[in-house]
Amino acid sequence: MMPADYLSVVLLIAGGIFFLAGTLGLLRFPDVYTRLHALTKADNVGLGLIVAGLALHAESWTVVGKLLLIWLLVLLAGASVAHLVAAAARQRGIKAWKR
Amino acid sequence: MRTLNQRQRLGTTPRNTVFARLQSGCLRAVLFALMWWILTDGAMDSWLIGAPVVLLATSISVALLPPFSWSLPGVVRFVPFFLWRSLSGGVDVAWRALHPRLPISPGLFCYPWRLPPGLPRVFMANIVSLLPGTLSTELGTDCLQVHVLDERKDFLSELETVEQRVAAMFGISLLPPESVDSGSIQRRRMK
Repeated sequence: MMPADYLSVVLLIAGGIFFLAGTLGLLRFPDVYTRLHALTKADNVGLGLIVAGLALHAESWTVVGKLLLIWLLVLLAGASVAHLVAAAARQRGIKAWKR
Repeated sequence: MRTLNQRQRLGTTPRNTVFARLQSGCLRAVLFALMWWILTDGAMDSWLIGAPVVLLATSISVALLPPFSWSLPGVVRFVPFFLWRSLSGGVDVAWRALHPRLPISPGLFCYPWRLPPGLPRVFMANIVSLLPGTLSTELGTDCLQVHVLDERKDFLSELETVEQRVAAMFGISLLPPESVDSGSIQRRRMK
């Protein structure tokens, strides 16, 4: 294996751990707002790391561009949808969980 | 995004706005062309369809989103800031989700706007949701409602930094703090 392969393995595994943590947050956090925190932030980082890991193996620059484009669109969709879900929950009067 | 009224107030002549439209149209055409190149793997014969599509996309884009002010140094400085902060946002929330005792203490707060209405506010609301411990829940007329994962943390200075960075990106200045009703609204806690 080349050094780039090791780096890409580390990035892909780290990305998977973030997705796992995001899913665990979705299951463990107490209400819709806290769950949105887990999903948007952990999955954004997880996908970013996976995209970085795959980009190291891309055969051309257009593939790197495509991967980056995917990450940016998921970022945009994730942040906007999280906001819309949270706003809808507020409008329905769902109270935020308190410690 | 400038409305017609704001443009008149700023005293920009129509000539300037035509120029601004052309300028931002050219820039967007380059970006759309780059996207086409990426999507088609640089296939030369695809430009037969690609060129009209890029032109169409550019005209729709300029019609839907008129030119707005932005600053290249602001954008360049924003990228590493955003990457670093969103990485630490992910680490923060992953740590809390994995911790056996679930160390969270959520709260809702109202953060008074110092950015002008329109694109800068929408942009900030989206960015806030990706940064450590904050989630925008409502784009109010005078404040941004933020859900905070841990209110014991210093999320205010984080929001202030984001606000300044976003303003620098759009090449605009923030409203002075005095113009915001600092006593009552500022950092108002919501039920």
